[in-house]
Amino acid sequence: MVGLAGLSADSVRVAARSPGSDRSTPGGRRRRLREAALSAGMLAPAVVVYTVMTIVPVIVALYLSLTDWNGFSSAAFVGLDNYARLFDDPDTTRAAVVTVIVAFFGSVGMLGLGLVYALQLKERNWANSFFRTLAYYPHVISSLILGFLWSAILGTNGAINNTLADLGVGPVGFLFDENLAVITLVGVIVWAGFGFNVVLFVAGLQTVPRELVEAAQIDGASRRQINRRIVIPMIAPVVTVAMVLNLVGLIKVYDIVVSLTDGGPAGATETIAYVILTRSFAGTDVGFATAQAVGLMMASAALSVVVTALRNRQDRAAAS
Amino acid sequence: MTPNPRAGARRPSPVRVALLTLLFAVMTVPVYLLLVNSFKSQQDIQNSPFSLPFARISLDHLAAAVQSPQYNVLKSYGFTLVLVVAVDVLCILFAGPAAYVIARSLKRRTQFLLLFFLAGTFIPASALIVPLIYVLRAIGLGNTVTGLILHDVAMTLPVSIFLFVGFIRTVPRDIDHAAAIDGAGRLRTYWQVIFPLTRPAVITVLILNSIGIWNDFISPQILLSPGSGTYTVTTAIYAGISQYSTDMTKVFPNLLLAVAPVIIFFVYMQRHIISGLTVGALKG
Repeated sequence: MVGLAGLSADSVRVAARSPGSDRSTPGGRRRRLREAALSAGMLAPAVVVYTVMTIVPVIVALYLSLTDWNGFSSAAFVGLDNYARLFDDPDTTRAAVVTVIVAFFGSVGMLGLGLVYALQLKERNWANSFFRTLAYYPHVISSLILGFLWSAILGTNGAINNTLADLGVGPVGFLFDENLAVITLVGVIVWAGFGFNVVLFVAGLQTVPRELVEAAQIDGASRRQINRRIVIPMIAPVVTVAMVLNLVGLIKVYDIVVSLTDGGPAGATETIAYVILTRSFAGTDVGFATAQAVGLMMASAALSVVVTALRNRQDRAAAS
Repeated sequence: MTPNPRAGARRPSPVRVALLTLLFAVMTVPVYLLLVNSFKSQQDIQNSPFSLPFARISLDHLAAAVQSPQYNVLKSYGFTLVLVVAVDVLCILFAGPAAYVIARSLKRRTQFLLLFFLAGTFIPASALIVPLIYVLRAIGLGNTVTGLILHDVAMTLPVSIFLFVGFIRTVPRDIDHAAAIDGAGRLRTYWQVIFPLTRPAVITVLILNSIGIWNDFISPQILLSPGSGTYTVTTAIYAGISQYSTDMTKVFPNLLLAVAPVIIFFVYMQRHIISGLTVGALKG
């Protein structure tokens, strides 16, 4: 609430600048105070709800992560033990590796397909807009539901394996082979998310000046050369932002894991978010679960700082 | 992009045809399977997943899902909708005035508040929810719908305030001054003058929030225990499918019921949705 006290002083000065308030008269002074109180009142609901529901839990997490607590009895302070455990715990390290694989290959897949299809669909006509919408629609459906749908299609008794069986092939362990399951997870994530990259890139491509492309065509450049030398460099900033957005989104993947593989087979597709919510927390190892959560927050914050830095650089480049 | 405008009716390249055919197949097949298998028997789903045996299609399985007493997806529409509307209304009521004060202040302290809110975009829900349970219990809101709503509102505030501040800054201050001369206080200036002018931003925020809350799984699953008997679409689907995962005549119709409202909403509003989510992503 320190912020609020500071804000009222600030609002007094703002109110003093606004017309209708006059520093010299007592009426103006009362008015300024009323305006200041009003500004504080306008900020208060958002600040209070956000602080209690977001900032306080983060502080609680920082504290709990330093304790050994099962959620019921009193918590024992253990210092950084939980953080040391993060690196020794095989489940956590495996989940960290899975998360990095999913985030990296998922992001690369979405960027690649996003770019390929954005170049095909950049011009404005009804057919392109139909295909853009078709690529995009999974983005509005809950990942939990998409995961269940794909698990019904790719499971041992799913549509694909039943069809393969008719042809005398299979079954293919899309969800039951430890290595293939990770590839399937990445595939479904890319399927669900690349359309969003397509839309972002199309928005970027539509800002490429036509004259530049036409000039290159007159000079005899091929379509491929134009894409490689002019178009892609010009949308590079959008590509960078999309890449980091993909990464930030993918390091916290949870819903789709729950519904597609439920972490299986044998934990091969467990991500960090999955381990926090279904193992450590449910297993009443609250101190350790919060240490994992703090680790995830820090990774997410680090990636977000990168996004902000890149975006600022892009804004400065655009402004100059 | 063609050098000669008269070549506009050119034949598409084979690469383009191949790419778009592949796109069409990969994006429509899951929806096709979802649709046809919602009307087939377990045996038909197993034996010929892709076919649509007209003689044997039946509405029974869909009807069973609609009438199912447990984890009923159709029933969960109501609660989910209430949740979406409550979070939307509170978010607009809280984020709008706060964003207005932040956007109009010249003081560094108030600008710092924007960073304070933006920090919230760094925090993944999956990491926040474990400690949040203990905070909610401490303030007497553990396992309550109120607690879930307040958490959802707090999750929507950072991006909403950020978008509103950006938009309000494009509205000239002269308009505020004119309203002040006419005798309107700050709150009235915001709701009667500025708020209507920020309509595009309000629509973007409403779309972002509504889709986010409707699809959210972690928060309702963990903040409302299954014992409460209150299900959102996602938690009802989760509870139902973990129970009947091998019975495809339950899986497909329930998934269809879960997807249908979103798809209808998307088709109806797709232009707004795509531009809204793009703005949200690029600015948020």
